[in-house]
Amino acid sequence: MTALIETVGVSKAYGSFVALDGVSLSVASGELLSVVGPNGAGKTTLVNVLTGLLKPSSGSVRFKGEDIAGIGPVALAKRGMARAFQLVHIFPAMTVAQTIGVAVVSQTSRSLRLFASVATDAALRSRVREVATIFGLDTKLDTESRLLSQGEKKLLDIASAFALTPEVILLDEPTSGVSSGDKHGIMRTLMDAAKHAGVQAIILVEHDMNLVAEYSTRIIALKEGKVLADLPPKQFFADPDIVAAVVGKLVGRMSQRAA
Amino acid sequence: MSESDVTAVPGSRQSGANGLRRHTALLVMLVAALIVLALFPSFAQPYYVTLVLPAFAYAIALLGFNLLFGYTGLLSFGHALFVALGAYGAAVLTSKLGIKSFELILLASGLAAVVVAIPVGLLAVRYVRIFFGILTLAFGMLFHSFLFKFYNITGGDTGIRVLRPALFGNEFSEMDKTAFLIGPFYYYCLVLLVVLGFVMWRIVHSPFGLHLTAIRENSRKAEYLGVRVRMFRLAAFLISAFYCAIGGVILAINTGQADPETAYWTHSGELVFMTVLGGFANFFGPLVGAFVFIFLKSELMSLTQYWRFFLGVTLALIVILFPRGVMGVAQDLWSKVKKQQ
Amino acid sequence: MTAFFDILLGGVFHAAVLFLVAAGLQLVFGVQKIVNLACGSFYALGAYFGITSVNWALAAGLPPWMFLPVLIISGIVLGAIGPAIEALLRTIYARDEAFQLLLTFALVLMFQDVLRFFWGPNPQQLSNLVTEYGRLSIGTFSVSTYNLLVIAASILIAVGIGAFLQRTRFGRILRATAENREMSQALGVNVRWMYTSVFTLGTILGTVGGALVVPTAAASLDMPVELVVEAFAVVVIGGLGSMRGALVGALIVGLMRAAAITFYAELEILAIYLVVIVVLIARPAGLFGKPIE
Repeated sequence: MTALIETVGVSKAYGSFVALDGVSLSVASGELLSVVGPNGAGKTTLVNVLTGLLKPSSGSVRFKGEDIAGIGPVALAKRGMARAFQLVHIFPAMTVAQTIGVAVVSQTSRSLRLFASVATDAALRSRVREVATIFGLDTKLDTESRLLSQGEKKLLDIASAFALTPEVILLDEPTSGVSSGDKHGIMRTLMDAAKHAGVQAIILVEHDMNLVAEYSTRIIALKEGKVLADLPPKQFFADPDIVAAVVGKLVGRMSQRAA
Repeated sequence: MSESDVTAVPGSRQSGANGLRRHTALLVMLVAALIVLALFPSFAQPYYVTLVLPAFAYAIALLGFNLLFGYTGLLSFGHALFVALGAYGAAVLTSKLGIKSFELILLASGLAAVVVAIPVGLLAVRYVRIFFGILTLAFGMLFHSFLFKFYNITGGDTGIRVLRPALFGNEFSEMDKTAFLIGPFYYYCLVLLVVLGFVMWRIVHSPFGLHLTAIRENSRKAEYLGVRVRMFRLAAFLISAFYCAIGGVILAINTGQADPETAYWTHSGELVFMTVLGGFANFFGPLVGAFVFIFLKSELMSLTQYWRFFLGVTLALIVILFPRGVMGVAQDLWSKVKKQQ
Repeated sequence: MTAFFDILLGGVFHAAVLFLVAAGLQLVFGVQKIVNLACGSFYALGAYFGITSVNWALAAGLPPWMFLPVLIISGIVLGAIGPAIEALLRTIYARDEAFQLLLTFALVLMFQDVLRFFWGPNPQQLSNLVTEYGRLSIGTFSVSTYNLLVIAASILIAVGIGAFLQRTRFGRILRATAENREMSQALGVNVRWMYTSVFTLGTILGTVGGALVVPTAAASLDMPVELVVEAFAVVVIGGLGSMRGALVGALIVGLMRAAAITFYAELEILAIYLVVIVVLIARPAGLFGKPIE
C-alpha cells in the first residue's frame, strides 16, 4: 500500500526545547490511525506538521507524494486534507446549511462566481442536506450555529470538515467534552461519514483509550517528542510497558480488553 | 463583527413559509418605495427633489461600502477616497478632457477607483479590525493631501468644475441646471440605483457572498474550509471602491464641483455613520441610512448652526441604543407585530 | 544657521507636542483597547481653553511671564471631563471595536460644535507672549526659549510616564490590566476605577499638549480633525500601544514635517503618510508595536 501521508524523521525544535524528535510514520488508505500520548508529548505539534501548519526543523512530510511542509490550511484543503479542532469553531451567525455550504462551494470553481445564486442551487442544497443528514443535523439546517447545543456545534464543526470531501481527515479529540454514552455514537457517525464522503484515512488524536482500542487500525504513541510505539491495537495493548507509559494505571483493564 | 451586533446574516433565510412571507412584504415595500421615488419630482418641491440626488449617490456608494463592512466585517475609515476619485474623475473627464458621455464617465471613474484600490487593498487586507481602519484612514488622507497640495493638477482647495454630462448622448441643453438635475438626471440615477442594487443583491446571495460572510464570522475557520481569505477580502474591497466612485460621480455632477474635502477622513466617517444609521446587518439598511441621513442633515442645518452637535448625538444614540440601526428597529417592530397575531 | 536651528527646533517642538497627544492615545489604547478619534478634540479644547485662561489670568493682574504654568494648569483642569466621557464610552466596552471607534467619532462631531459654541468660528490667538521668554543664545545662533521649555517639559513628562509605568505599583497594575483584563479583575483590581484614571490621564495629556501649542499657533476649528491625522501617523509608525513608539514616532513625524516645510512645502503631509506606508510594509506592527494577526 502506498502511503497517503508520511513523515520521515520529522523534528521540530523551539530553541532548546525539542517538541518532536525524529518522528517517522506513514498512513495508508483504509487506516484509522490514533495518535496517543500524555500531554506535552508532542501530539499537537505533530498534527500541526502533518496539516501543513508548521514547517519541521528537519525531516520531510508528504501528502500523496508531495511535500506539504508549511503550506497552510487553504492549500491543504485544496489537496484533500481536512482538519477539525478540539475547540469548536463555528460561524456564529450562519446557519448549519450555510456553514456546510461554504465547505462544499470552496472546493469548486463556483466560489468565485459573483452572480450565481446560492438559494437556487439545487445540487448545492442536496449535497449540504446529505452531509447534514449523516451527522444528524438535517433538522437544524436553518438554525443559526450559535443557537446549537455544544454537542451539535461540535458535530457541525466536524461535518463542515467532511463536506470538503477530503481524502484524509484529521480529528483533534472529536469526543472531548461529550458524555461517554455519546462517544461511541460520535465515533460511529464518523466512520459512517467517512465511508459516505469517500475519506480514505482518518487520523485521530484521542485520550479515551477505550475508543482508541475499539476503532483504530493502528496506534502511534508519542512520548517526549519521540515515537514510542507504532502498532495495531492488539499488539499495542498486549505490551504492558507501552500501555503503562501511555496510560499508567489502566494497564490491567487494557490488557484484558485486547486479549 | 461580534455575535451581539449581528443577529442575522444579511439576506439569509430563504426557505420556509415564513421567509416567503417576509419576502413578499419586503417586495411590496420595495415596489412602493420605487413608485414614490419615481413620482417624487412630480409632486414634491424642487428643493426636496435636489436632496434626493445625493441620497441616490450615497445609497449606491454605501451598497458597496457595506459589502466590505457588513458582509466582510472590515471597517474602512478611508472610503471617501474612492468617492473623491469618482468626483474628480467626472471633473477631469468633463472639463479637462471634454468627454461628456455619462456612461463613459461612470465606467472610467469606476475603473480608476478599482485600479487605485488594488495597491491600497493589497496592503490593507493584510490587517484586520482597528489596524485596517487606521490604514485606510491614512490612505484616504494621503489622497486628500495630494488633491490639496498639487493644485496645478487638481485645482487645490477650489477643486475642479464638473460640467453637465450627456445622458445617452443627450445633454438636454434646452433645460437649465435645476431642470436637468430633477428631470432626466434624476431618473437616470434612480434606474442606476435599481440596477446596481440588483447587482449587489446577486453578489451578496452568491457563493462569493457566502464566503465573505464566512470570513467575517470566523476567518480562521474559513481558511480551514479552504477559503482564500485575503483574495476574497481584496475582491470585496475592489467592488466597494467601484460603487463608491459611482456615488462620487453623481455627487460631483449634482454640485457641479469636485473638491478635496470629499476625500477628508471625516467624510469617510460619515459613510460609516450613514451605514450604521440605516443598519449594516441588513441589505437595505445602507439605502435607508443614506436617505435618512441626507434629510436629517438638511433639516438640522436649517434649524440650527450647531447641526454637527446633533448629528453627533444621533450617532451616539444609534451606537449605544440602536446598533442595528433603522432597519434593526423596523425588524424588531415587525417581529413584535407578528407575535401579537 | 539660526534659521536652520529654528526650523529644527520647531520640528522637535512639534514632536514634543505630538508626543503628548500620542502618549495619551497609546495609554488609552493599551489599557482599554479604544482608539480615540476625539484626541484631536481634546487637543483643540486644551488650546482654546488655554487662551481663555491666560487672557483671564493676565486681566486679573498676573505677570505675563507666568503664562506657561497657567497653560499647563488649565490643561490639567480640563481633565475633569475625562471621567464623564469615559462613563459614556463605558456603555459600549463589551461591543465590537467598530462601535467604539464610531462613538469616538460621534464625540468629534459633538466637540466640533461645542468649541464653536464657546469660542466662535474664528481662529484665536494669544498675543505675542512667546517673546516674554525671549531667545537663548548658544554660540553664534539663538533659539526660542519657549520652544526649549516645552521640549524640556515634554521630555520630563515622557520620563515621568516611563517611571510611573515601570516603577510604581499603579503603573504595574496598569500594565497588567493592559495585558489581561480578566485576570486583573480576578485579582481584585478595581478595573473600573483604573479605566477612569487612565482615560483621564490620556485626556490631560491631550489638553496640555493643545495648551502648550497656542503661543506659537492659532487655535482653530480645523485643529481637532487635522491633529487626528498626524497623531495616527505617529502611533502607526511607532506601533499601537507603545510609549517608546509614541516618542520615536513623534520625533520622526515632527522632523519630517520640518524638513518638508523647508525643502518642498507641497510634500508636507504627503511625506508623513509615505513614511507611514513604508513602515507598515516593512514592519506591520509599527516600530515598537506588538506583532498583529
